[in-house]
Amino acid sequence: MRSVTLGHYLPGNSFLHKLDPRIKLSSLLLLIIALFLIKTFWGFILFALFILAVFISSQLPWRYFLRGLKPILYIIVFTLFLHFLFTKGGKVYLRLGAITVEEAGVYLGAFMTLRLALLVITTILITLTTSPMSFADGIEFLLRPFRRLGIPGHEIAMMMTIALRFVPTLMEESDKIRKAQMARGADFETGNVFRRARNLVPLLVPLFVSAFRRADELAIAMEARCYRGGENRTKLRKLQTAPRDYYAIATACGLVLGIVFSGL
Amino acid sequence: MLIETRDLRHTYMPGTPFQVEALKGISVKIEQGEFVGIIGETGSGKSTFVQHLNGLLRPSSGKILLDGRNPWAGEIKLKKIRSSIALLFQYPEHQLFEETVFKDVAFGPRSLGLEGDELEERVRFGLELTGLDYKFYKDRSPFNLSGGEKRRVAMAGILAMKPEAVILDEPTAGMDPSGRRRLMDQIERFHKEENLTVILVTHNMEEVSRLAKKLYVFSGGQLVLQGTPAEIFKNTALIRKIGLDLPPITDLLHKLKKTGRNIRTDLFTLEEASREILHHYRGG
Amino acid sequence: MNAIFELKNVTFDYSFDDTGPIRALNNISLTINEGEYVALIGPNGSGKSTLARHLNAILLPTAGEILVDGFTTMREENRWEIRRRVGMVFQNPDNQIVATTVEEDVAFGLENLGVDSSLMAKRVTEALEAVGLQSLKNHAPHLLSGGQKQRLAIAGVIAMRPRCLVLDEPTAMLDPRGRREVLETVKKMKQQEGITIVHITHFMEEAVEADRVIVMDKGKIIHEGTPAEIFTGGVDLYSLDLEIPVIPKLIQILRSQGLVVPPGVLKVDELVDYLC
Repeated sequence: MRSVTLGHYLPGNSFLHKLDPRIKLSSLLLLIIALFLIKTFWGFILFALFILAVFISSQLPWRYFLRGLKPILYIIVFTLFLHFLFTKGGKVYLRLGAITVEEAGVYLGAFMTLRLALLVITTILITLTTSPMSFADGIEFLLRPFRRLGIPGHEIAMMMTIALRFVPTLMEESDKIRKAQMARGADFETGNVFRRARNLVPLLVPLFVSAFRRADELAIAMEARCYRGGENRTKLRKLQTAPRDYYAIATACGLVLGIVFSGL
Repeated sequence: MLIETRDLRHTYMPGTPFQVEALKGISVKIEQGEFVGIIGETGSGKSTFVQHLNGLLRPSSGKILLDGRNPWAGEIKLKKIRSSIALLFQYPEHQLFEETVFKDVAFGPRSLGLEGDELEERVRFGLELTGLDYKFYKDRSPFNLSGGEKRRVAMAGILAMKPEAVILDEPTAGMDPSGRRRLMDQIERFHKEENLTVILVTHNMEEVSRLAKKLYVFSGGQLVLQGTPAEIFKNTALIRKIGLDLPPITDLLHKLKKTGRNIRTDLFTLEEASREILHHYRGG
Repeated sequence: MNAIFELKNVTFDYSFDDTGPIRALNNISLTINEGEYVALIGPNGSGKSTLARHLNAILLPTAGEILVDGFTTMREENRWEIRRRVGMVFQNPDNQIVATTVEEDVAFGLENLGVDSSLMAKRVTEALEAVGLQSLKNHAPHLLSGGQKQRLAIAGVIAMRPRCLVLDEPTAMLDPRGRREVLETVKKMKQQEGITIVHITHFMEEAVEADRVIVMDKGKIIHEGTPAEIFTGGVDLYSLDLEIPVIPKLIQILRSQGLVVPPGVLKVDELVDYLC
């Protein structure tokens, strides 16, 4: 479980940490739009330099950051590989029997890979510096205008909060059940993939049963504490914007506009 | 099976900032057929300790020896020790997963390679030792039973492996008084009938002082006291200091003694205690 | 004295598709006064928890009526007034904590009531101080001990300024230290804040602490009285699958052997005081 650093919040005190979550999420959205508008390698370089500057200002430990990227590396390599093999056109760089690697494949592969990598890095940068609770608050606020379209912003945020609250509890529980089944002879460590998957049944069934029981009890406990959805609800922590938030959102807008008008 | 540990130590997450030394050198010797109690506060290391006895945890240093053989040196198979020293965790009903009671109880013995009549015989043995009628329960879904029944099915599941020793971690937690009483009677019975070693981890001082012949007291990862209940509960100050309760009768007898009477304090049953009190106070 | 709960001929059936209705409460009438500490005991399935869930309108009676501080639970518009007045603490400490920090969990109920955030912060601090958890306010709940989790649950409830606490086996899953912590907190709530306590428990020695003990069996109230009356007054608890705590049992034996022990003596210290 230690490798799941992907998006795991690291408390800190940097500019990025202190940004209002609503601003942070909106800026993230703008940056993602910018990434998809970029048409040249120069555009990516500019974007990468910008992200690097933000990263340095965030004071995140780079080792921790890079380790978080590891699981994504496979997807990136896989994307590159697919393009090399299946996108055709232009000069032929390499020929191995029936397989060729051609110019268009290399170009497009590199392009898509860069886009994907920058997308992931930008997102991780935001999730690493935003506490899950303020993340949920931010989402709830940003989804508010879509309530009329039937998108339940408050409920989504509440679900995120509860999920976050119960992840450690369920991890502990799964460890306990695993040991209990091992004590009566269950084997989780040997055999091929299918056998192992089947051997997980004694772990998964009790875990689901318990999760449902917990959900049931939690629902009653929430109701007993007067929970009745998002209407007329107040918050302990009020979200408040500061001047830095306006600078941040202005920079993000500037980046999108710059890319559109410069044609990069 | 003779269960022995020598200077057993365990450190969780060594080499990380979260490193915790949970056991700091534990040496015990538990003979076949003994009924021992392990007491200590939550976090005292008792749970970590018992998980070493059946090979669920590997000692960071020190040894665990079963009949003199060390499982971590390959002298006895882990699978063998997990079946001969059964461990029942707290709230064991949470481990039930099969469609029928029969299948769930059969899970352990089946993992030992048993099949057919032999398997059925084991399931019957387990269920009946815990006081559940085989015919009545075997085809029921474990999820539709009452809390107490579920717990006994879980217990049957480990007894069906015919272990030589059972470790029970808070077996009566969360039960009503009659459920507690019935379960403890059941445990006492199979301890006697099958000459089973019972290692009872509990917070219930009254129960453990009545049943166990020997107690081990854990605190802060160390074994701070060991001996008969009478020897242990003599140390009233230490017992209180490490956050444990005295059994109510012991508490009473000690307090009476403090007032200057020469009253015995090594009594744990109501009959003995009332006789002793009457002896001192009737007419006086 | 003001009645905070008035139950009038309350009956409740659970309905199941396959077996038909099962009667969980059978014509119960009961009054609980403001400031009282009532312990509710009975074997599993006797209807204790079902009764508790009627006290804040989570369940509604099939027949009969319940008044909470004068509000009937039968009317939908009273529901939130009732739940604000009656706080509940449940058995499993984990399954009633909603938020990811201690402080925010205490605020959960107040957020639901729409309390203004500056007043909310003040109430949260007060509630945490009352249960002794102020130093842990930024902790994640899963790092707390069982006793601390239950105290957090109590804080979450008392921040809403209830008139009554209903505790449904709050100590069943705790170790002795946790149990002591919770019982002390509950007693403090009664003494300092004057909150009415309804405490369901399987631990008879906890029921000894109450002003009044109510014994339930098969959906009915079958005994009611002071702890002394229930535990040393010859009530047959054994056949109800309950038991008499060790010290009252000892006192009964001593009495039957001719030793005079006055009524009202129930605990170790009381017995020692009397004997010496």
